[in-house]
Amino acid sequence: MSASQPVLAVRNLSKTFGAIRAVKNVSFDVYPGEILGLIGPNGSGKSTLFNCILGQLRPNGGSVEVNGKSVSGKRACDLDKLGVGRTFQQLSVFPQMTVIDNIIVAGQEHHGTMLSRLFGPPDAGLTAEADQMIEFFRLSHLRDEMAGSLSYGQQKLVDAAMAFMAGPSLVLLDEPAGGVNLTMLAGLKERLVTYNREHGTTFVVIEHNMEFVMSLCTRIIVLAEGQIIAEGEPDEVRANQTVIDAYLGG
Amino acid sequence: MRATLRPVLLLVGLAVLIVAPLGESNYVIYLLCSWLIFSIAAIGLNLTLGYAGQISLAQASFMGIGAYSTAILTLAGWPWVVGMLLGVFLCFIVGLALGFPALRVKGHFLAFVTLAFNTLVFLVSRNEEWLTGGTYGLSNMPRPSLFGFSTDNQTHFYYFTVLVFLVSAALMYGIVRSPWGRAFKALRENPIRAESLGVDTRWLTLIAFAIGSAYAGIAGALVSPLVQYIDPGSFALVHSLRILLMVVVGGAGFFFGPMLGAVIVILLPEALRFTEGYYLIIYSAAVIALMVFCPSGLIGIWGRLRDRLGRKPETRADMQAGAQL
Repeated sequence: MSASQPVLAVRNLSKTFGAIRAVKNVSFDVYPGEILGLIGPNGSGKSTLFNCILGQLRPNGGSVEVNGKSVSGKRACDLDKLGVGRTFQQLSVFPQMTVIDNIIVAGQEHHGTMLSRLFGPPDAGLTAEADQMIEFFRLSHLRDEMAGSLSYGQQKLVDAAMAFMAGPSLVLLDEPAGGVNLTMLAGLKERLVTYNREHGTTFVVIEHNMEFVMSLCTRIIVLAEGQIIAEGEPDEVRANQTVIDAYLGG
Repeated sequence: MRATLRPVLLLVGLAVLIVAPLGESNYVIYLLCSWLIFSIAAIGLNLTLGYAGQISLAQASFMGIGAYSTAILTLAGWPWVVGMLLGVFLCFIVGLALGFPALRVKGHFLAFVTLAFNTLVFLVSRNEEWLTGGTYGLSNMPRPSLFGFSTDNQTHFYYFTVLVFLVSAALMYGIVRSPWGRAFKALRENPIRAESLGVDTRWLTLIAFAIGSAYAGIAGALVSPLVQYIDPGSFALVHSLRILLMVVVGGAGFFFGPMLGAVIVILLPEALRFTEGYYLIIYSAAVIALMVFCPSGLIGIWGRLRDRLGRKPETRADMQAGAQL
């Protein structure tokens, strides 16, 4: 993959729900190592766009490519195998499983074959790797706790750790800061930046917390009423009058 | 403590299985065999329901498929083991097919689909007289022999059933402890998240039905020589409900849950027979009380005791909405 080839290429993506056009001919590229923010007022089509990219909604038109391969119509589990990780807006850990099991299940499908996972070691040989990931997200003290017993912010961290366990080249984070307190949020941001720097992983982040997104992202795309209204570096976007109007309803 | 306690408990359990039939009447040994056989069927349903989260009210129909396949083949002169293997294979394939509706419907809708399947199997076994003997059923199936060891004696058949039970339980233990077991739990708790982590939830749903049904097939293959008579009523919907009760009462999603549940459903009514006409009332009240006060089943009682004695892991019910994505 050349440096100029986008990790994620979205072309003319459209999605309608009955008469409502949630996403209208959206096109953008995301390049290796980038942290792209996707912002916009409520109902602007961010989550719909995410779900179309990730195969959870079938778009009415357009195409999506990951590392040069078309992923249009592919299932979420196939996207994961192509190196695309994600987190969800709402809590999405497995509550009746321990933290370590949550992390291992996030990586095990990338190890061996279906049969080797049946007859091989119970941890799929991932305990050491999972422990490293837990340590990276500073969750070691919670390793053997049931994920469902953790606080909201801690579950968000487990969710993020799960998204990284398979070593993805692209991670889509859906409102990672939602409901997380300021101290934990600073920790989460620092972990994401460190991971991005150390592994060169590309991020696309949907977020409402402007301070978080402006300080984390290298580039920002603004959506309103299903289409892109602005794009640029955080400072450019912050000063853009169209963006201000869209947020203020002007 | 847990690591040392488990092998000790397993050895005690094994010893109880070995000495249980000694000096007992044929009827008691028959009950013990029934408990083991229904435990195998419940272990299978526990995979489908308890681990993978897919409701099924068709487990008895798969017992029927296994029982009729084994009976027809053994009556035709085939060895029991061949009849059993073919019956289990047939259950696996039909179970796989029954899993397809589960890809589209969930919860009580899926329950009704499986319920309809149970009724369908009942009607086929009742109406296709040329194959199943219809309402008269099939009788005089020979009991299996293992390396020249005849199981015509009730006690011998009991030990044969124990052997099949132990092998089946060990295989299931291997499955639920493997990464497959973790993936099944992920499917149960949050299928959308599981799919996003590379778990092929479609395939996993199908295989959960197929393996669970194959276990019912093993149980059916043992029912046939135990009673040496089978008829459609032996595999009617009420028996699927009994197997479901075993899983729920014992503790769905816990390895030993179905075996404990089978004790309650098969053995407790017999133990209460001294109360004469009241035994079903007492039995029903006990089951209701258990479900009200300990919805996680008998295994849950152990969990509660452990929590009182030590640390208290608790899942936060206030934050589970996200798991239903």
